[in-house]
Amino acid sequence: MNVSIKWLKEYVDFELSPEGLAERLLMLGMEIESIKQLGEGLDRVVVGKINTVGRHPKADKLVLCNVDVGSGPDAQIVCGAPNAREGLVTPVALVGAQLPNGLTIQRAQIRGEESQGMLCSEQELAISDEASGLMELPDDTQIGAPLVEVLDLDDVVLELEITPNRPDCLSMIGVAREISVTTGNPLRRLEGDVSYLHPDLVGAEMTDIHNLTGVTIEAPDLCPRYAARVIRGIQIAPSPAWLQRRLEAIGIGTINNIVDITNYVLMEYGHPLHAFDYHRLAENRIVVRRAEPGETLKTIDAEERELTPDMLVIADAENPVALAGVMGGFDSEITDQTVDVLLESAYFHPPSIRKTSKALGMHTEASHRFERGADPEGIIPAINRAAQLIAEIAGGEICAGIIDVYPGKRKAINIKLRPERINFVLGTELAPDEMRDILTRLGFVVSDAFEVTVPTFRPDVEQEVDLVEEIARVYGFDNIPTTLPRGDIPIPKADPKANLREDVKTYLLQCGMMEAMNYAFYPPDVFDRIRLASTDPLRQAIPIVNPLSEDQSLMRTTLLPSLLANAQHNRNHQINDVQFFECSKVFIPNEMGEYPNEPECVAGIIAGNLGAGVYGDPLRPADFFDIKGIVEGLLDRCGFSDYTITRTDHLAFHPGCRAEIRIEDKTLCVFGEAHPEVLENYDLPHKAYLFELDFEQLVNVVETTKQFERIPIYPSVNRDLAIVLDVDTPASCPTQIIKSTGGELVSSLHLFDVYTGEQVPEGKKSLAFAIEYRSTTETLTDEIVDRVHEEILEQLERELGATLRS
Amino acid sequence: MQEELKQIETKALTDLKTVIDLRELESLRIKYFGRKGLLSAVMRGMGKLSKAERPVVGKLANEVRTSLTEAFDQVEGTLNQQAREQQLAAEAVDITLPGRLPQLGKKHPVTQTFDRIQEIFRGMGFEIVEGPEVEHEYYNFDALNTPAEHPARDAHDTFYITDSLLLRTHTSPVQVRYMEKQKPPIRIIVPGRVYRRDSDASHTPMFHQVEGLLVAPHVTFSELKGVLYAFVQQMFGAGTRTRFRPHFFPFTEPSAEVDISCTTCHGGGCRLCSGTGWLEILGAGSVHPNVFRYVNYDPEQVTGFAFGMGVDRIATLKYGIPDLRLMFDNDMRFARQF
Repeated sequence: MNVSIKWLKEYVDFELSPEGLAERLLMLGMEIESIKQLGEGLDRVVVGKINTVGRHPKADKLVLCNVDVGSGPDAQIVCGAPNAREGLVTPVALVGAQLPNGLTIQRAQIRGEESQGMLCSEQELAISDEASGLMELPDDTQIGAPLVEVLDLDDVVLELEITPNRPDCLSMIGVAREISVTTGNPLRRLEGDVSYLHPDLVGAEMTDIHNLTGVTIEAPDLCPRYAARVIRGIQIAPSPAWLQRRLEAIGIGTINNIVDITNYVLMEYGHPLHAFDYHRLAENRIVVRRAEPGETLKTIDAEERELTPDMLVIADAENPVALAGVMGGFDSEITDQTVDVLLESAYFHPPSIRKTSKALGMHTEASHRFERGADPEGIIPAINRAAQLIAEIAGGEICAGIIDVYPGKRKAINIKLRPERINFVLGTELAPDEMRDILTRLGFVVSDAFEVTVPTFRPDVEQEVDLVEEIARVYGFDNIPTTLPRGDIPIPKADPKANLREDVKTYLLQCGMMEAMNYAFYPPDVFDRIRLASTDPLRQAIPIVNPLSEDQSLMRTTLLPSLLANAQHNRNHQINDVQFFECSKVFIPNEMGEYPNEPECVAGIIAGNLGAGVYGDPLRPADFFDIKGIVEGLLDRCGFSDYTITRTDHLAFHPGCRAEIRIEDKTLCVFGEAHPEVLENYDLPHKAYLFELDFEQLVNVVETTKQFERIPIYPSVNRDLAIVLDVDTPASCPTQIIKSTGGELVSSLHLFDVYTGEQVPEGKKSLAFAIEYRSTTETLTDEIVDRVHEEILEQLERELGATLRS
Repeated sequence: MQEELKQIETKALTDLKTVIDLRELESLRIKYFGRKGLLSAVMRGMGKLSKAERPVVGKLANEVRTSLTEAFDQVEGTLNQQAREQQLAAEAVDITLPGRLPQLGKKHPVTQTFDRIQEIFRGMGFEIVEGPEVEHEYYNFDALNTPAEHPARDAHDTFYITDSLLLRTHTSPVQVRYMEKQKPPIRIIVPGRVYRRDSDASHTPMFHQVEGLLVAPHVTFSELKGVLYAFVQQMFGAGTRTRFRPHFFPFTEPSAEVDISCTTCHGGGCRLCSGTGWLEILGAGSVHPNVFRYVNYDPEQVTGFAFGMGVDRIATLKYGIPDLRLMFDNDMRFARQF
């Protein structure tokens, strides 16, 4: 909503600077989008009068003008405009002017003749696009006067953001009322009562409107009130300059006097009006009804609209002529031939207007106001104001009488205000009289007993709390004390899940992984890109009905594609070494209930090299055991050790380098090397390793109560054991045998070397273990250790055919 | 014999002056103190002395031994010191070579901001509560006093899953869900992801909010101001100014938008604050009685306030990030900065 300070001053006096006014309005709840000074660049442009026009000695198309600029001698100005003539009153840019288009006016020699300024077109002054000749001003314009004053351009326009609860502020009078409240200066009310219509402008009894037209409301639920007036014998013409400038100042284009007047009153009162060409209405009458099935309407913007029966239309005896509260119809609009006008001023059911405007994608000045709630009692003042202006400006006579069909008159809203309640909820100590004063200034009527009658232009005020807000905002939020809450503090509940999430995040950060944050949606092709089988349940992703783009159309069921896409993004910026993790919800359709499941997942990716890549910390390529180690460490961090790692068939991973951890029949975690095709699908030149873990399952298996274990008091004995065995035997086999054979005496076991090559026979490999023996009850002797070590070796020989590596 | 001892002493002291390292010192020690050393040789001759001479010479011999031992020890001390210094000099490193940094990950700036916000409100007795992201229209709008066709829904361009299920446009529905299950007093904050159909430099289709709700028999608007003032002081630094402006939200009344003095220019006006000196950081207000009615609370018996803030926006302000979309690119060069 744009407001002009000059225009506002018609309704209320104030001496605030534009910034000062903006600040006041801001603190009343209206944000200021911009403050625009009109007439910028017209500082040294004045009104001049061409006294003489002479030939330019050296140029046929130029003339020499002697121009009276109000002070000093006439200025000689060289000009090439076709309409330069003696007696013309026109704007003159004096030397030193800096025009809106950036041109600086200097004393100049033009083809040998001095020019002491410039005569200007409207385009050069940024007033309009008119560039065919000099701007022509009325002959009686004061010579030498600054142009901005003459054209009312010494004005400032504020662009306000009006919250949806305040349709009353979508008007000059509404904003002026707020200014009146904050300054204490009275609001000058325009008399809009029918009695204000000048008697000379109103026709005789015999022309009474009731003989000329009729209004039938067939849908009173959607149209509680409809008023009409007829003005006959008008002459369509451009609006007078003052009206055009008013509208242009606040960014409204001008069309013709009738349409401009309805727009002017719309902006002044905030009440949308519509003017029909009386003779283009079948039977010259109005029917307010729901649209018939299959009915269409060509609106003023020349679009053919398909209507549905829940849309309210204004019809004549036959067809819709306007989309009620949204836009008028093409075939009944005011044209240059219009002589008689039927003026509409009505109140429509706000949700119905909103539905229609949304369904047709038409957001207009009218629909914006009606869907927020117009003032049902503002109908008559607005229509009278418009009729008056039409008769004054476009000629014609206002037919006697008014049609006012009002099936939906509502009782005034009365609210019992409890002053002590106001202070109770605000934490203030306002005197009741102060509250009364604030409400009265806002237009409420307050009785001695604090029965408050709500003005009809405030549809947002329905109950006591609405008055609390009015009092608070006018009193000033800044004036309300700042205190701390009293009373009982509830006991916060423990949240083990949040604690575990924090532990897991901390651990992964310590692993050197950056935390990633991705959108919760992804494109439909991700499942193909990570090679999921066509039957994979992860493909059952929830689609968004109205996504911004197909790339963001499915809710994630797995985090892996996002992390691969992150690696791809980095790769596209020459960063190949990437370590990311993400903790996030995924969305799984729930056949049992309405809401989908939103389980949390944790996933990570390592691509390219690890290490800092500096002297002493060289880069090395990541491998399978890095991702495996991260997973194992994570489970260790969670105190979960009762698991086995098995091969998996997850298709996103390299068939030889993929594994999973299952709890009963559910996968807790998958990890491994990304399949080469997946790498290709994400343009990744280096190997990438990923894991994904079901955080909800982890919550269930995590050991939250860690117990202290006694620190050993007896010394340990360390022995290495290198064995040679079949290359296909998994390392877990000898590990298991060593542990089970050594029993409690094996206090720690590390595999520290794996070797295949010349030193061992073909088809064999060597594994080297560091075994730490320790007893919790005694100091071990060599004898005992030798015996156990020997038993382990024998067991390895027996079960795996392993031999001691010599 | 006495003469001999004196000579040995003089000789030894002269010899000591030429010693350059511990090895030489050791051989000199052997030369004088060793079993076959010069002093021993003299001592062995003691037996030939008369009874009268013996104590005199013995005393002298002890004096010479003591003074020489001291002299040797002193030289040894000096040499040891020199040797240590040489060793240290040899071990010096080029301290301008790079340090071996632990390769640690970093939390996303939004998470860091979340953490800080939660910590502050925990300190004021707020419990952290979460809720579903796929939400019913009832909780996202209706029960928050925003019926169908309410123009306030315009501010929430919504992603839909079905006719009635949507991606929540704010964390406020959790207010309703929590009040349905709990009785006052209530002090919760709700961190979470929210969704709106919007994408430009200052809007992303998914972003993060923290919602707060405090309900008790008597809660005032002045207490809302107090809690948010305390939050701002801790979040943005002591001395940050706070401004409450009237605004409109369907589920609070009175409603306010809260500005803080610009974190860059501190109120002077700069590009970040568009010259106003203020930055809008959150919305707040007293809980609307209609919201209480939806959860079967009696608005005459309980009062409360609620607030909500955009975490991503606060993070962009804090770190000077010019485009919100950078938050979700997951560029390593971005991630390493915070």
